[in-house]
Amino acid sequence: MLLDATELDVRYGRNHAVKAVSVGLDQGEIVTVLGANGAGKSSLLKALLGTVRADGTVLFDGTDISGWSAPRRVRAGLVMVPEGRQIFVSLTVHENLLMGAWCRSDDPEPETEAIYERFPNLAERRHLPASVLSGGEQQMLAISRALLARPKLMMLDEPSLGLSPILVKQLFELIRDLNRDGLAIMLVEQNTRMALATAQRGYVLELGSVVLKGRASEISGDARLEDAYLGGNADRASPRSIPGKEIE
Amino acid sequence: MLLLQQLINGLMLGGLYVMVAVAFTLIIGMLNFLNFTIPALFMFAAMMMWATMTGNLPFGNDFLLSAFGEHHIWIAGVVVSIVSICIVSLIIERFTYRYMKAKYGDATEHALPLVSSLGFLIIFEHLVISQWGSDPLQIESPFGDATFTIGSLIFSIPQIISLALSLGIVFLLSHIIRRTKLGRALRSIAERPDTATLMGVDVLRIVPVVYVITGLLCAISGILFTINYTSIDAYIGDTVATVAIAGMVLGGLGNVWGAVVGGLFVGILEVFSIYIVGADFVKVPIWGLLLLILVLKPTGLFGHSAIGKGKF
Repeated sequence: MLLDATELDVRYGRNHAVKAVSVGLDQGEIVTVLGANGAGKSSLLKALLGTVRADGTVLFDGTDISGWSAPRRVRAGLVMVPEGRQIFVSLTVHENLLMGAWCRSDDPEPETEAIYERFPNLAERRHLPASVLSGGEQQMLAISRALLARPKLMMLDEPSLGLSPILVKQLFELIRDLNRDGLAIMLVEQNTRMALATAQRGYVLELGSVVLKGRASEISGDARLEDAYLGGNADRASPRSIPGKEIE
Repeated sequence: MLLLQQLINGLMLGGLYVMVAVAFTLIIGMLNFLNFTIPALFMFAAMMMWATMTGNLPFGNDFLLSAFGEHHIWIAGVVVSIVSICIVSLIIERFTYRYMKAKYGDATEHALPLVSSLGFLIIFEHLVISQWGSDPLQIESPFGDATFTIGSLIFSIPQIISLALSLGIVFLLSHIIRRTKLGRALRSIAERPDTATLMGVDVLRIVPVVYVITGLLCAISGILFTINYTSIDAYIGDTVATVAIAGMVLGGLGNVWGAVVGGLFVGILEVFSIYIVGADFVKVPIWGLLLLILVLKPTGLFGHSAIGKGKF
């Protein structure tokens, strides 16, 4: 297993955000983590990356990285694309890419050229401040920036948030492309339908615990998935549905 | 001609304000707080310079005298001053930033570092007063009256070297911020420290570097001030830093070249004010101008409209 986290607990004061969650991911796999707002998805990612204090063990590529700082985990190949893109708008597009390569000592320029070939929109604006990019281009930049860290596992936190349906489709195509090139991906998403169509396996979180896990195809048909989004005890008569499902 | 001489004197004085103003602006641009330990660092550097040159170090300076000789004791002063400022800067970083950040997270923005830095300033001033008193202290300039004249204009050679050194250091700093890998990291931390961490940047290892850089700026400025003006006291940091703050605000918060222009400008303004209206009145034009700028153009001459982070 590339990533094997067991019994992770995250607490913010009295708020127990992640409760004994165990997740794993194989080499070359796409795994999705689903759940409603506040289910603990982002906290789980932060625990895996080491940006919040967490109890439990994280094995990455056969090494116990539980006590490691976030920068050390990034150097080991565990890289996150944060929610809301969070590109550096006071830096140029090119400088953003170079920031992705911060933890490397070799010259990242050849790889930036490959990125520019893949995304001509970024190439045109490489010397402009990243603030000129559209939302979709910013997401491309955020993913490209993460690629320059040479990840073994890329964790994406809500990458489709705020993108138009066409851009969401392109985004998931890109995720599949990257995976085909051998990159393992952990995908946290609100867009359940697209995520399950892309991932091989999935976990569903509710109130900080895993309530459902298994193959993506099994999860999409499971009633407990809908329960997780309705908050379990919610009024079943309310006409809410799973985000993303109503498009069908 | 007399006015031109005042202009030259003002530029020389302004060169010293420039480094202090840039020190303020660096911490504001990166960490978003007004660092009141900067006056303390300036004063402490000047004091260490004085104490080394006059044999007033607590442990004596006999071995420094024998190592450097009477004529080169000023070099020992520079070394002692810079080394002690680096150490003090790292201690200050622990207690104005790192400890607070670890304990209180984002609540440390603005208030906690500002108040703890003010505490450092007061403690430092009173430690110095208890050791050496609050009266003005003199050194003998190691360079005497080294001057040259063009027509009737007098140029002090140490002052010209100071101005060149000051501008050179700021130019180097600006180059580092704009063009190097460290500079990119500094700008990314200024804008989004949490995201910089996701890139693998160890923010807690970079921030002490910023403190040491600002400490060095204060130290060099304090040393040059001592050599050029030969008289200092325990409150010299307050005197110089308040003018430098005015210069920084004038140029625009968080803008390095703005601080350069602002620093030079307040230097010239101070000298002219003393010449025209006298020394007792000198703070009024400087702070009056500052208030006027804040009313007319609160971002300063070269500042961005964003008040907060990411302004390099």
